[in-house]
Amino acid sequence: MRFQDAAKDARTVVYAGVQADPLVRRAAALLADATPAQRVLARAVMNGETADADGWRLAFPSLFGAAAPPRGDPARDRAEGILEASLAVAGRGEQVRSQVRGAIVEALTEDLLGRRVPPSALRRERRILFDGVHAEIHPYDLTVEVAGAAEAYDCKWGARGISADVLHQLDDARGHAAAEGERLLPVLVVFDARRSCEVRLARQTARRAGTRLVTIETLDRLAGRRAEAAS
Amino acid sequence: MSSIPALVERVVLALAGLVALGETIDDEWTYVHDLETVWVARLRAVAAARAELPPDSGLEPALARLIDEVGRISDPHRAIDWLSTLPQATLVAIGEPAW
Repeated sequence: MRFQDAAKDARTVVYAGVQADPLVRRAAALLADATPAQRVLARAVMNGETADADGWRLAFPSLFGAAAPPRGDPARDRAEGILEASLAVAGRGEQVRSQVRGAIVEALTEDLLGRRVPPSALRRERRILFDGVHAEIHPYDLTVEVAGAAEAYDCKWGARGISADVLHQLDDARGHAAAEGERLLPVLVVFDARRSCEVRLARQTARRAGTRLVTIETLDRLAGRRAEAAS
Repeated sequence: MSSIPALVERVVLALAGLVALGETIDDEWTYVHDLETVWVARLRAVAAARAELPPDSGLEPALARLIDEVGRISDPHRAIDWLSTLPQATLVAIGEPAW
């Protein structure tokens, strides 16, 4: 089993520009330390139709209402920062918004993984090659390249992004690694509720027993932390 | 002041509107209806458990704002995203875990 940088085709060049957008890095940094409710706020606003910040504050009383922490409190300031960044994402055109949201989930996953694994082991946009096996075209969003304990990540904004192709690629990588006597943990990270992901997975026939599912409520496990309740 | 079950039924109605929009994507018809089924069940279970409790003063305007937000959606793809997002935001507003 070998890891290799993805080929620099037109898609990767364009997408690299999206990944390098300062808004992506800022939103990911805020979400890495966010509460579950703050992450739901980001999901709603980035999916939203309106750009009225006060309207969104009204919609999330536990974060911005009378009983919420006052301005100046770190939790409130983070909620305000997430609201501001999410509105900036929503303000992009529809196609760009979709790319930015995906890049944020990848950057968030990278931030959280970076709290558990050494930087030298954490890589972006890598392919995994196996002897005698035709290489997959699409690289993995993130890989943890540790001998004997490798991990491969595919990141999705929503449950609807879960497809048979994604599940097959992840499971095939695990199987090919096992055939070479290596251990590779495939992980699907989805910035959506597990309930919605399970609905999506229920009608998929692709093998996924060896693939770990990390959802919006369990993101902190990427960093080795336990999940919190989201109210 | 409306009860929590009454407020949640307004959200259920808004979800039905999202379903009507999302199901126009033929390949996602089953997924859209399955999402509605599981989330409505979750929301109604939470509402039933809180039926005797007065809602916080911020809940009714919060849900009204969220329902207004989804009422503006015209894109079926975004409607499908909101079939998952609206229940989570509703549960956060109620003060429940969002899943």
